Amino acid sequence: MAAREKYDEAVVVEQLHDPKLCKVAFGKVIEHYSSQLYWQIRRMVIDHDDANDVLQNTFMKAWTSIDNFRGDAKLSTWLYKIAINESITFVNKKKVMNQLSIDDDESFLVNQLESDEWFDGDQAQINLQKAIASLPEKQRLVFNLRYYDEMKYDEMSKILGTSEGALKASYHHAVKKIEQLLGESE
Amino acid sequence: MKREDSTILEKYGKDPGFKVPENFFEDFNKRMTEMLPDVEITPVDVKPTMWQRLKPLVYMAAMFAGVWCMMQVFAHFTDTNGINTVSAVAEKMGNDKSNVEDFIMSGAVSDYDIINYEDSVMMSNEEDFAGDNY
Repeated sequence: MAAREKYDEAVVVEQLHDPKLCKVAFGKVIEHYSSQLYWQIRRMVIDHDDANDVLQNTFMKAWTSIDNFRGDAKLSTWLYKIAINESITFVNKKKVMNQLSIDDDESFLVNQLESDEWFDGDQAQINLQKAIASLPEKQRLVFNLRYYDEMKYDEMSKILGTSEGALKASYHHAVKKIEQLLGESE
Repeated sequence: MKREDSTILEKYGKDPGFKVPENFFEDFNKRMTEMLPDVEITPVDVKPTMWQRLKPLVYMAAMFAGVWCMMQVFAHFTDTNGINTVSAVAEKMGNDKSNVEDFIMSGAVSDYDIINYEDSVMMSNEEDFAGDNY
């Protein structure tokens, strides 16, 4: 088996703008980012098949608009932005399909979790996912990025276009609300 | 310092209980790479910004300015030191013979002056000696 080539972001970004090398370079991007983007999307859409579709859409969108990526921001920031936008669009579409208002929370996504073949968590995990899903969209995003990915606030600020102070406040509120909801469900 | 999410972390951990089919990511990467359509990539025409173009000139100007400043400072202190040295020696000298060595050290006395000085001292000593004998 050939040894996996070391991923060098600066080299890959340069290759992305070379018509001869761009496809190979994007293959490296997919290989490097698919896992981390998948988990971020999965925590938003909950279902594995949906996460698979959204991840596919994310990379497809990134590929078709690769010409717009000038390397001013980090590639990861750009990809996370696309993934988050795609996830939000997907969840909103699913709400419409389920005849829910856009303003309703995302708890409906968790309802199928118990019977999901790609979920092996216990009741406590279901309760935590329900509590996270009941948060407002922004708080939910911030909580997922901070709690599971331990993303720094300055990086998060670039992805979500919100000040670090506002993100810290969002995380604080999210944690308090989840603690309260989990306390009630016990 | 205690994390604000420590209560949730202790109780629920970081594993949300989600899993994926075996080799999901390997298969996904392969499938995704294969389905990429051909897109037209415009080679990036890297246009240097105004600052990037001026940077070498600004750095050169700063370097020359620095060298000029250093030379000015050096010249200033050399002049001042010169005056100080001469005036200090002149002040010290006076008529005191004990200052002869300092004067010699300052480089303001030639060998010829020293020989003359020593001759005059010897002469006066001889005169004194002759006077004592009378």
